[in-house]
Order: sequence, then structure tokens, then C-alpha cells
Amino acid sequence: MRPALAPVLSRLWALMRPYRPWMAGGAALALLAALAAIGLMAVSGWFIAVMALAGASGAAINYFTPAAAIRAFAILRSGARYGERVVTHEATLRGLAGLRAWLFRRLIPLAPARLSALRSGELFARLRADIDALEHFYLAVWVPASVALLSVATALVLTAFTLPAAVLPLLLGTLLAAVVLPLWIERRAARDSRQTVLDAAALRGLLLDALRGHSELLAWGGVPAHNSRVESLAARLDIHRTRLDQLQAVGGGLAGLSAQLSLLAVLVAGLAAVHSGALTPPELVMLALLTLALFEAIAPLAEALAQWRATTLAGERVFDLADTPPVFIEPALGTPLPPRCDIEFENAHLRYAPHLPWALAGVDLVLAAGARVAVVGASGAGKSSLLAALLKFYPLQQGRVLFGGESVAGLPGDPLRRRIAVIAQQTTLFDLSLRDNLLLAAPEASAGQIERAVSLAQLDAFVASLPQGYDTVLGEGGARVSGGEARRIVIARALLQDAPVLVLDEPTEGLDARTARDLYTALDAAGRGRTLLLITHRLSGLERLVDEVVVMDAGRIRARAPVGEYLAGERGG
Amino acid sequence: MRRGDPSAGEWLRRQARPLRAPLARSGLLTALQALALVAQAWLLSAILTAALFAHAPLARLWPQWLALLVLAPLRLLLGVGARRTAFRAAQRLGASLRARVLRGAQALGPYGLRAQASGDLITRLVDGIDAVLAYFARYLPQAASAALIPPLLAMFVFPADWLSGLILLLTAPLIPLFMMLVGKAAAQASERRYGQLRRLGAAFIEALGGLVTLRQIGAAGDFAERLDAEGEAYRVLTMQVLRVAFLSALVLEFFATVSIAVVAVLIGFRLLWGELTLRAGLFVLLLAPEFYLPLRALGGLRHTRMDALAAAQELQGLDAVAPEAAAAPRAVHAPHEAAPQIRFERVGYEHGGRAAALSECSFAVPARAVTALVGASGAGKSTLLSVLLGFAAPYTGHVWIDGLELSELDVAQWRALVAWVPQQAHVFEGSVRDNLLLAAPGADAGALRRAAERSGLAAVLERLPHGWQTPLGERGLGLSGGELQRLALARALLREQARVWLLDEPTAHLDSAGAQAVGAVIRAAAETRTVVLVAHRLSAVRAADRVVVLGGGRVIEQGPPLELARARGVYAELLQAEQS
Repeated sequence: MRPALAPVLSRLWALMRPYRPWMAGGAALALLAALAAIGLMAVSGWFIAVMALAGASGAAINYFTPAAAIRAFAILRSGARYGERVVTHEATLRGLAGLRAWLFRRLIPLAPARLSALRSGELFARLRADIDALEHFYLAVWVPASVALLSVATALVLTAFTLPAAVLPLLLGTLLAAVVLPLWIERRAARDSRQTVLDAAALRGLLLDALRGHSELLAWGGVPAHNSRVESLAARLDIHRTRLDQLQAVGGGLAGLSAQLSLLAVLVAGLAAVHSGALTPPELVMLALLTLALFEAIAPLAEALAQWRATTLAGERVFDLADTPPVFIEPALGTPLPPRCDIEFENAHLRYAPHLPWALAGVDLVLAAGARVAVVGASGAGKSSLLAALLKFYPLQQGRVLFGGESVAGLPGDPLRRRIAVIAQQTTLFDLSLRDNLLLAAPEASAGQIERAVSLAQLDAFVASLPQGYDTVLGEGGARVSGGEARRIVIARALLQDAPVLVLDEPTEGLDARTARDLYTALDAAGRGRTLLLITHRLSGLERLVDEVVVMDAGRIRARAPVGEYLAGERGG
Repeated sequence: MRRGDPSAGEWLRRQARPLRAPLARSGLLTALQALALVAQAWLLSAILTAALFAHAPLARLWPQWLALLVLAPLRLLLGVGARRTAFRAAQRLGASLRARVLRGAQALGPYGLRAQASGDLITRLVDGIDAVLAYFARYLPQAASAALIPPLLAMFVFPADWLSGLILLLTAPLIPLFMMLVGKAAAQASERRYGQLRRLGAAFIEALGGLVTLRQIGAAGDFAERLDAEGEAYRVLTMQVLRVAFLSALVLEFFATVSIAVVAVLIGFRLLWGELTLRAGLFVLLLAPEFYLPLRALGGLRHTRMDALAAAQELQGLDAVAPEAAAAPRAVHAPHEAAPQIRFERVGYEHGGRAAALSECSFAVPARAVTALVGASGAGKSTLLSVLLGFAAPYTGHVWIDGLELSELDVAQWRALVAWVPQQAHVFEGSVRDNLLLAAPGADAGALRRAAERSGLAAVLERLPHGWQTPLGERGLGLSGGELQRLALARALLREQARVWLLDEPTAHLDSAGAQAVGAVIRAAAETRTVVLVAHRLSAVRAADRVVVLGGGRVIEQGPPLELARARGVYAELLQAEQS
């Protein structure tokens, strides 16, 4: 469903509440600058005509007042323009930063259940480009439209007093340039305008593939084909942009044309009035120059409206994304967590989409506080889904997950997850220093705590090898460390979290046997006094870490046995 | 990179060179449009003077009216034509630059790219190019108008009123002068802003990619605050730039407006003293704003040039990277089309500051057999595969492919014979089918089906909502680690002509049944191919014909697995560790 336009604008308006004084101030300064420009030309025209008449007739004249007015208008216009630029940009930047922060915070509760369908390239485009595009509503539409409206009103009032016959042609001319023409341009530009936004987002995605997937493209010889996809998309984007630019040029030109036609109309009406004595010649010159200056204030609207559809599309996408309901409604702030931390799955059913098979098909599992249990099974047996349900990332379709005797659905998510330290299969490291990466999980941790966690995770030697030690920046996604090192950093981070429950999702994947063995030993020590849930499909070394083994298959628990018994059975069978 | 790097401006000018001819054409149309404007002003002042002072009836002025009516649409056409000419040429130039810069980024190679934040690169490729494009499409044509129109108008103002002409001519050069003075400071600030913009882009893409992790460790709120701080820093920097940039616009605006005012007042007095006709006075007054208009418009586009300069500094680095061919001049041999024997002879490779990734590696990889590379993480196993893929270059020593030096082979022909299963396959935007076809674009449905069945991907496909057509998201969201691995293996199987298989932990995410099935596929492949297998787990190695044990970038042991197991060396120790 596409939200209607009005809600986009009104919601944007509501979000802009803190920035409205800046916005209104910018518009007011813009209006002042526009009126000063119109005044400058009108008074100048009137002045030289009066002076010419006085020169011809030899009459005396007070020229100080109009000359001073001309200078005053000139200074006012320059100053107001400067103020307008500074204030409107301040308003825009503040407003955009506020929107960005608002949207990011709306996205947090959507991960991962609601965001998994989106690619991060796409998300990135939405978050940044779409929000940036919204400035157009303010800078290119709202401000010029209010300036145009008030300038036209002022000019019409002046005209009504001096030359009533010119009011109608001037009204028609300004209606044409400020309303009819922009609306026509908006309609003509709609398709290209929309498409520029869509294609630009797609181009970002393709480029992301080109760079992140470069090794594979190279190995498979796919670079030329991918590059030509990039190029043909870019070419399409360029065509839309060229058409838009052309339409804008036509819009600007037609605005100029309507200015000239209005001028002719004003002259025709004015000359008749001069001949009949209803208007003095200097007044007519003033009206003529006023008309030309007035249209300068209106002209930008037609060009601006060519971008209208792109901007509303950006707004729709931002609100579409922000309105996605999270899978869980968070309980009231301050809802306490139960003191206990035993875990129980009760007839838990979970599937990720209606067309997919059950990832959990009625799991009953009790993990007492301090229990040390391995969950084993083939890939796709539902092991990781246990974790997803426990962390409140996905809702159960049936059954419950209890933490400390209470259903997790009613517990506050963040405090719950802070009690459960996870070493996950896919974990991201950030382009921060090693220290900051570790501190993300426990902002208050001391240097001593960090070192203990690092040495438990077998990272001492790695840290010592780093040129800047803990201050070494890890690169995007931890690009500057090897897979094994990244894994151990993640382990150190989880240990630093100091949670009563420790979940290990294939912790030794990507590690060689010796490192894996040492790590199990370390985890054994680190896990003392905690509930420990090990998710793995590898059986070696299990007995070092856990007391019991739970076997999963096709989303169900098949067996539960003490680890020795289970391993003996496996080796025997 | 140094601030205010003069080479960025030089680079930008060089890029703009092909624009000269279209800019000249567009300039000609602009000049014609200015002439039409002069004619309009002339007609208008004639009509007003005649009607107001000579009391000529409107009907007698019909030729002037008619001319005015004709000139109006003519100006429109000329204006549209000028803009269109310049924009199209700029667009074409931008497209070729974009293609070149993308190739430049790709020429950094897999190692070079991994060291760069890809969000950052994307920002450079998209926003950087857009900044340069805006400079080509808007700034340059406007600069041409600013150079053309004022002198042209002055030529008409002078005969009408020399004093006004003099004022215009004297004030006009002050404008670019002040712009330059103010612009120097603004250019530096603009560079900083661009740097901040890139960091902001990288931070956002990263935060989104890692949102699940952030939530898992309860750090999403803190990270949002970090982004807020970055955004705030961006705003402050931007406003710094803009305030200075607007100052230059203010100077311009002030000169232009005050000059118009002075011209108007002076005309008024000379009319009063009878030194000037109203017609000439009106004509000059109508032209005066138009005289400054192109200069003012150029001042408004000032930041376009600064943004383009800052972007140019980033882009020229990528543009300068020569395409792959320059890396090593290679005599081109075609590789043999049978499973080759590969021999490493004292191969060394270093990358990016950290300890040597490989040194003095010598071992042989027999044809039609499985050779396993084992060792601790960081031992150099994956780097050896990178050498074979031609990613890690230049290396020292020799890699012999059936007696031909690898670096002298035609790299495309060589890679066509290689199938690679990376540790974590990248999943491209597109369907499952598209993702497989990457390895063999011409494969038919039958080949796809066979590859899927043998790799175990068929079982995965059954579960996917649209089978082969299921769209895959970034990093294969919706696919588990094991499923990804099957996809990567299916890719390898699809490339039937491959004679060399390079497998980086092909069973890492598979359960034992899955790993056994994959092991069988690998054994079968080895009957006609040379297989190099990287493994942490010795269970995956038992079926290998040869094992090479690596440590710290060197070869520690090598031989058939059974021999090594008996030999009480590192391999035996690893084996024991795994079995205990």
C-alpha cells in the first residue's frame, strides 16, 4: 500500500516541529529579499521616469527620498539574501539530521525479523539519499511557494491601487507561471522523476555487488558482464536525468515567456490608462519593471516541481520503512526482569514465513540455571532458531519461551538480551578500534576486564602483534583481521558482556583443531557459574564443555542424554 | 592527501577538456539569447518612450509589439537549446568517467578492495561522480555565460550611456576577484565537509549491516548516539563551509545590487539635467540586472565547484590506478587444458604492513588428486589460494603450472579453467539461478539441475518459495551458512570445464552427513581435476592424497596423510587434538 501524499507531508511537518522556527525564519528572510528586489526595480523605474519628466519640464523635484529608497532596497536585498541562505540551510541540516536519527531509531526494533528482506545497499540508499531528498520539499517548494504567494499578493494590491485594469491580466499571468506551469511540469516529469530515484538506488546496489563480490566476479570471469550491467543501468539513469533537465529548461523558459506576455498585457492596459489620464507615466514604468521583477520571484517554482515525484517517493519510502510494525510490542518501560535465569521452551513453534517449513515444530526443552547443554543436529534442524526465539528476535506462532519463569514476549527486549551473551554464526565487527569493538557490549568495562576477556579468548598474541594494540582500527566489517581472529574478538566481546547465560552458536567454526580445543578449555573456565548453551554440529570436544546433549532434527527434540552416554552411543553406532 | 591539492584542479580541468566544443556551441546559443534580450529591452524602452512622451497611439506601434511577441518564444528556444547542449555533453562525459573510476576501483584488486570500506567507495563512486557531473553540467556552462554575456551587454550599454557602461565594466571584475579571495578559505572547509560526508556514509552502511549484532549485544542505542554525533559534526562543518561560501555570494550580490542602484540614480540625475534620453536610460536600466545575472548565478554555484574539487581529489586516486595489465607485463601463454600439475617454488607474498603472509613456500600439487592445506588460522592457507587465483600478485619465487610460470599465463584463460569455493560466498542481487550462472553464463537447465543435485542445493531449492527464481538478498539473507556453502559448491560444479578446483573450507558449515556427501563430490571431481582443499578440520583431510601443513606462512610438513599421522610431527599433534 502506498501512503497518500497528504500524510507524507503532514507527518513530515509534525516531525519538523523542533525546527519550525528555523524554517519559518528562512522563509521570512527569503520573502524580505524578494520584496526588496521587486521594490528596487519598481522604485528605480518610477524614479528615472520622474526625473526624465522633470528634466523635460524643468519642474523641481525631491529626489533624495527615492534615491535613498533605492540604496536602502539594494542593501536590504543583499543582507536578506545572505540571511536567507544561512538560515534555510541551518534549518535543512538540522531537520535532516533529526529525521535521520528518528528513522534509525525506528529501524532498530525491526532487525532482524522485518529487515531481512532488504539489502543493506537499499537500506543505505533509503536512509541517506531519501532523507537528503526531502530537503527539496522545504528549500525548493515550500520556501519559493510562500515567497511567490506573498510577493504576488503584494504586487496585486499595489496594482489594484494604481492600475485596476491590470489586476486581472497580472493575476492570470502569475497563476500561469506559479500554478499551472509547475503542475504541468510535475505531471510531465512524474515518470522520469520517480525512475531517477529507483535507478539510483539500484545502481548503488549493483556497485556494492561489484565491490564486495569483486573476488568472485574476478574468479568466475564475471567482471565485464557485471560492469556492463552497471553501465547500462547508469545509462538509463542518465537518460531519465537528461529528460528531466530538459523539462526543467522548458519550464524555466515558459516561466520567462509568461513574464513577457504579462508585461505586454500590463503595458496595453497601462498605456490606455495613461492616455485617459488615470495613470501617470512614471507609474506605468514602475508597474512594468515591477512585473518583470515579480516573475523573477516566481520562476524557480516551475523547475522545482520537476523533482516533486522523486521527493514524494523518497518520503513514501522513508515512512513505509518507519511504519513497519516490529514483531514484538515492547512492554512498559521499567518492566523488571525476573531474578532467575532458567530457560524453558514450551511447545515452541516457529517458522520464518508461511511458505517455509517449521524451523521449530513443537520444542519442549528445560534449561535450569547453570545447566551446560549442547544442542546438536544437522544444519537446518532448528538449532539457531532456538536462539532467535530466546532473544526475542522472532515471535513464536504457537507455544512459549520462558526466561526465569516468564514468557519472553512480555519481557523488555534489551535488558533480556543483555543477560544472554551470544557468540553467533554471523556477527559483525565495526570499523572502530579493537577496544571500542569490545566495549560495545559493555561500555563500562575496565581495562583489566578487557584484558581478562581477551586472554580468555586466546587473543593475547594477536593483540601483541598489532601495531597500535587495542587502538588498532579493524576496518569495515573487521576487514583487516582474519576470520579466526574476528571470531575470537567476538568471543572476547561476548565474555566481556558478563551475562548469566552464554550461548555459543558454532563457536569454533573457522578455527583449527588446536585453537578450537584451547578455546573450549577457556570457555569452560569462563562459563563456570553460567548457563551455557552450545549450538554445534561437531561432536569433538563436547565433553569438555557440556554435561548434556540435546539432539534436534527437523525442528524437534529427538533425544536428551548425558554427554558421555551420548558420545559413547555415537562412537558405538 | 594534502589540502588544496593543486593537482585536483588540474585533474578536473583535464577531465573537462572534451567539453570545450559543446560548451562553445552552447555559448553561441547563449550569446544569441542575450542578443534577443538586448532587442527586447530596446523595443520595450522604445514603446514606453514613444507612448508616454510622444503620446503615440498604441496602434501605430504595432511593429514593435509584434517584434516583442516574436522575440519571447525565440528566447525560450535558444535558452532550452543552450542548456540541453551543455547538459548532454556533460552527461556523456560523466558516464565515461564513472566507468573509468569503477575500473580503477576494481584494479585495486581483491586485497586492495578489502582494505577499503565499501560504503566509502560507493560514496566516492556515486556521490563523488555526481559532484563532478554537477560541475560539468551546471558550473561550466554558467561560467561560460558569465564570461560571455556581460561583455556582450556592455557593448550595447556603452553607445547608449557611456557612464553606466563604465560603472558596469569597473564593478564586474571586482566580483570574480572577491569571489576568489573568499573562495580560497571556502575550498578548504569544503574538503573537510566532503571527508565528513564520506565517514557519515560509511558509518550508516555499517550500522545497518550490523544492526542485528548491535541489538544482540544491546548496543544499538549507543551506536545511534554515535551516529547522531557524526551527523552533528557534519552539520557544524557544513555550516562553516556554507557561511563562507554564502559570504562570497553576499559580496557578489552586494556589488551587483548596489551597482544597479548607482546606475539607476545616476541615470535619474542625468535625465533631470537633460543629459540623457529616457529611452536610453530605460534601455540601460533594463539591461543592468541582466548584466550581473550570470555572475550572480555563478556565485550561487560556487559550492558546486568546491564539492567537485574535493571529490576530484578522491576520484583522481582511483582514476590513476592503471588497469590490471599494468601490474605486470606478462608474456602470454595459454594454459594447457588438462588437469595441471602445480608446483610452488619458494613462493613468498606480502600484503599490507602485517607480517609476511607467505615466505619460501615450496611444494607440489599433483594432478588428478586432492591436496589439502592445513594449519592454524593465519597460517597462509587462503593466501596460497589467492596466489593461484591471481589475486595475490606480484609474488616472489615461482608457481609452475605444468611447467609454465603462472604470472606469464593469460590470466583470463587460466581463471576460466579454475573453479573456486570461497570461505564465505558473496551472494549477488538476483535469483538463485543468476547466482549460479555467474560461474557458467551459458549453462542450460539440465546442467543447473545436475549441479544442484550433486551439491545438495536441490534440497535447499525445494524449500525456497520460488525455487530457482527466488531472489537472494545481500549476503544471502534467508540462506544459512550451510546453504551458502552448497550454493558455492554448485557454482563450482556448474563450471564443467574447470580443471582446477580451489576449495576454501567447503564443509565448514555442514553437518557430518553433509560433509561426507561433499567429500564424495570432491573425490569424484579429483578423478579428472587438480584439487586444492583448505581445511581447519582434519576430518575433511583424511580423504586427501597429500597434505601440506602450513604455519606462519611457511610449509612445515608435507606428505600423504597416513605417513604424516605416523610421523609424530605437527600434523600428528593436530590429529590427536581433534580426536581427543
